[in-house]
Amino acid sequence: MVGRQIVLRFKRPNLQPSAFLPSTLKKMIELKNIEKYYANKGIKHYVLRHVTTTIKQGEFVSIMGPSGAGKSTLLNILGMLEEPTYGTYEFFGEDVTTLNERKRIELYRNHIGFVFQAYHLIDEMTVYENIEAPLLYKKVGSSERASRIANLLDRFNIVAKKDLFPNQLSGGQQQLVGIARALAAQPSVILADEPTGNLQSTQAEEIMQLFKKLNQEDGITIIQVTHSEKNAEYGNRILHIADGVVKEDVLVR
Amino acid sequence: MFKLNLKIAWRNLWKNKGYTFINILGLSIGMASCILIFIFIRYQMSFDEGFKNEDRIYRVVSSWDYNDGNQFFSQGVPLPLTPAMRNDFSPYIEKIAAIQNDAGLIKINDAAGKEKIKTIENVFYVEPDFFEIFDYNWLSGNYSSLANPSHVVLSKEMATRFFGDWKNALGKSLNFDGKMNYTVSGVIDDIAENNSVQLKIMLPYKAFKDRNMANWGSVGSNSESYFKLKPNVNIETLNGPLKAFIKKYYVEDAPGKEGHLFQPLSDIHYNGKFGNFSGRIMPKKQLYGLAVIGFFLMITASINFINLATAQAVSRSKEVGVRKVMGGLRSQLLVQFLTETLTIVFISLLIGSILTEIALPGMQNLFNSKISFSIFQHPIILVFMLLLVVFVSLLAGFYPAIIMSGFNPALAIKNKISANTGGLGLRKILVVVQFAITVTLIIGTLVILQQMKYVREQPLGFNPSAIAMVDLPNDSLTTQRFATFKTQLKQIPGVEGVSFCRTAPSSQNNNGNSFSYNGGKDVDFQVNTKNADEDYLKTFDLKLVAGRNLVKSDTTNEYMVNETLLRKLNIRNPNEAIGKMISMGGMKAPIVGVIQDFKNKSLHEAIDPILIGSLKPRFFYAAIKLNSKQLLGTMKTVKKIWEVTFPESVYNESFLDDEINNYYQGEKIMGTLFKVFAIVIIFISFIGLFGLISFVATQRTKEVAIRKVLGASTIELVKMLNGSFLLMVFIANLVAWPLAYLFVSKWLEGFAYRINISIWPFILAMAISMIITLVTVSIRSYKAAKANTVDALKYE
Repeated sequence: MVGRQIVLRFKRPNLQPSAFLPSTLKKMIELKNIEKYYANKGIKHYVLRHVTTTIKQGEFVSIMGPSGAGKSTLLNILGMLEEPTYGTYEFFGEDVTTLNERKRIELYRNHIGFVFQAYHLIDEMTVYENIEAPLLYKKVGSSERASRIANLLDRFNIVAKKDLFPNQLSGGQQQLVGIARALAAQPSVILADEPTGNLQSTQAEEIMQLFKKLNQEDGITIIQVTHSEKNAEYGNRILHIADGVVKEDVLVR
Repeated sequence: MFKLNLKIAWRNLWKNKGYTFINILGLSIGMASCILIFIFIRYQMSFDEGFKNEDRIYRVVSSWDYNDGNQFFSQGVPLPLTPAMRNDFSPYIEKIAAIQNDAGLIKINDAAGKEKIKTIENVFYVEPDFFEIFDYNWLSGNYSSLANPSHVVLSKEMATRFFGDWKNALGKSLNFDGKMNYTVSGVIDDIAENNSVQLKIMLPYKAFKDRNMANWGSVGSNSESYFKLKPNVNIETLNGPLKAFIKKYYVEDAPGKEGHLFQPLSDIHYNGKFGNFSGRIMPKKQLYGLAVIGFFLMITASINFINLATAQAVSRSKEVGVRKVMGGLRSQLLVQFLTETLTIVFISLLIGSILTEIALPGMQNLFNSKISFSIFQHPIILVFMLLLVVFVSLLAGFYPAIIMSGFNPALAIKNKISANTGGLGLRKILVVVQFAITVTLIIGTLVILQQMKYVREQPLGFNPSAIAMVDLPNDSLTTQRFATFKTQLKQIPGVEGVSFCRTAPSSQNNNGNSFSYNGGKDVDFQVNTKNADEDYLKTFDLKLVAGRNLVKSDTTNEYMVNETLLRKLNIRNPNEAIGKMISMGGMKAPIVGVIQDFKNKSLHEAIDPILIGSLKPRFFYAAIKLNSKQLLGTMKTVKKIWEVTFPESVYNESFLDDEINNYYQGEKIMGTLFKVFAIVIIFISFIGLFGLISFVATQRTKEVAIRKVLGASTIELVKMLNGSFLLMVFIANLVAWPLAYLFVSKWLEGFAYRINISIWPFILAMAISMIITLVTVSIRSYKAAKANTVDALKYE
């Protein structure tokens, strides 16, 4: 398990893999004055207040903060799983604050990949089928599908596991499949909610290395929520959130 | 995509084997019941179909209105009616033909003149025009040959039986009833079993002789008349001419006002007021009743599916969330879930078909019909099955699919979909509906069984057990041998009594006459007349309440009457009637005895006024009271003596109690069906309940564990889990009671002798449903309550 080589074999020619020059990059996500609260018996419980930030293409952002700070809510809003109460959210210059299902699904199919703490692979599908599922929804042709999956399996060294079911894999392997699935549709951004939260430290390290490589070599934008300072170090920007407010926005290194 | 959906569906079903099993079991049994009901209804609805211009074919039937408000109906018509209508209705009617049913001895000799076949068969005297109305398939010859009174037409089956091969039959000869020889002039293809007129041997109507040929006052159910309307004539336009017709021909004064009706061919199989030659009637109401039961069965099975699916929905929520963020549209998820339902329903259909095949012989036995489950022969069955699959898939699958595909992905991914999603409220309502149906059926079954038992145990007023009814051949030659035959019978050990009679005390064969009492006018009701000899009372164990038995005599006539007759004549004291004269059909004779009332028909009907006369009897039966211990041996001896006495005829016997039981064939079928379907529906409902409690128990594992840590005992936990289910079933009982009451009281109205509806079937149904619920639910909840606390709490 330890010391697995992860070789990245393909690159996206249209994106410049230079995370070091964020100012030259295109704006991807722009949040303006995002607020989120739940009203209960007339009392508003704020989860997020006045969150305004911009994330550019090619960044690797970690959202950090104590439990209940609003990290996951922010990620959900970024992933359009929740709508903010106030404020605007622009994705590639388009206002996506409120979207109908069809448009949102269109973004999921082409631009956003999700990675979950509990992997959330579909138990009834094999590794291969799990990776294939988003491609089916995206209506990718069968030969193209086969080659992309073969590529991913190859890259992540899980060719031998392709016919196994999720419960036959270790946690790290499952998360690998989860990431492969998120990458299959060739998204522009990966949203990861504590991707290593359920993993042992060696496996966690591997996953984080993988994210870093994806970011640096493939230019994929990554936004992760994490508890761990160490994991956050893999990225190049950290948003510290507490009580729903962005307290700090720092560049790493 | 569909293939993948199918694959995923399959794995999902496999993963939840328990619930899949429950679903498939319930659905397949429900579907098998539905298919059985459908093929039975299809068969029944196929009667008398397929004739050219069948919507223009009618049967003339008769009715009588009596002053006391009673109405009587007959499938038959007076013999002179057909020629009269042919004449008077010629502007409206294309063809009209009389058909007369008879039975008699057929004898066929082989080429050497030796007797080859001797058998008693049903025959029909038909006019050639009959075949202008019904276009049968003629294999050889043609119907105009029946204009010749010495010709006979056979069905293929009969021709083959009589002459080896129907192709050889033409020109061969057969003898009917020892009187006349007929030459075969035609062969028709066999008439399908689903026809009310089963023509097998057709004699020319011209050969039919009857003393009532010109008598408008006599109607026998053996004489029917069919006609075909001219095209573009409305049957209503015949009503006016019919009034004039009745006025013109019914000139004699009769106790009942005569009338006629024109019954469409399509009504003949279903109308219980009139009979038909095949003796098979299936009231449409019963078919609808069956269809409703089938529908309810399907609903019950579908409710199982909906409940289990929505309960399971929570565990599928994660998958829904993931699929949605991968770019799956709600409609795509909908299709996926419906595919899963379709898979289950389809598997259930296959298993259901097997169950149908297994149950078919039992069904055929029960209904005594050749219903078939061949989808090649009747493609409509396949269509029905496919419609059933679509209907059930949508009924059972649509709601859960809507619920599941509608999950919010953010909540679903976080496992925050609560157990109540998918409408716990709705689930409760569905369970109540399901059990209301179940309880209604249980109550119905209990009442039907109770009524059947009541009917069986009703004192008939005579003893029908171990009485054999042996046919007596009835012509001038054979009647001379009756006396010797009777003496011989009486000498057989094991024979306890012998009576020659026209009918048994209870019979389907009844003979109504008008009469006058004590020199008065004709009374305004008809009396049911039976002929019998002096041994009738003793053989059937009938009780005299006044006067004496008939005396054996060839010269004097005497009558015995029953109490109902006296009541109708307003005579209180039976002794008053003794010695009074009754005149009937030009003959006067005194009443010598009054018999205690006995049930002379099925218990659907009230007791008739009855008159038993002794003179010039036509005896059709020898009623033989047997020692029940030596029944079979004695009957063999009886048969031997009979065959020696009447060598020219064919022996036939039946047992009176069998015949009486046959009156209730319809009820017996209903009873059996209800019993079977009640068991099926109970089964389906309770496996559904078991599935549901399993789910609830799993769902509340954590709660149970916490309560246990807090000090709840196992009993308390079981009580907690059971509570809502018992309440639901209780409410279902309350819903079912009024429905069941309406249904059973309506059904019981059809019996002249019936039980009073008591509270007991209702209480019993409640007890049954509650106890089974308690047992079903407790088994599962006990297991849940005993589960290891630590396992439940350390999770998450």
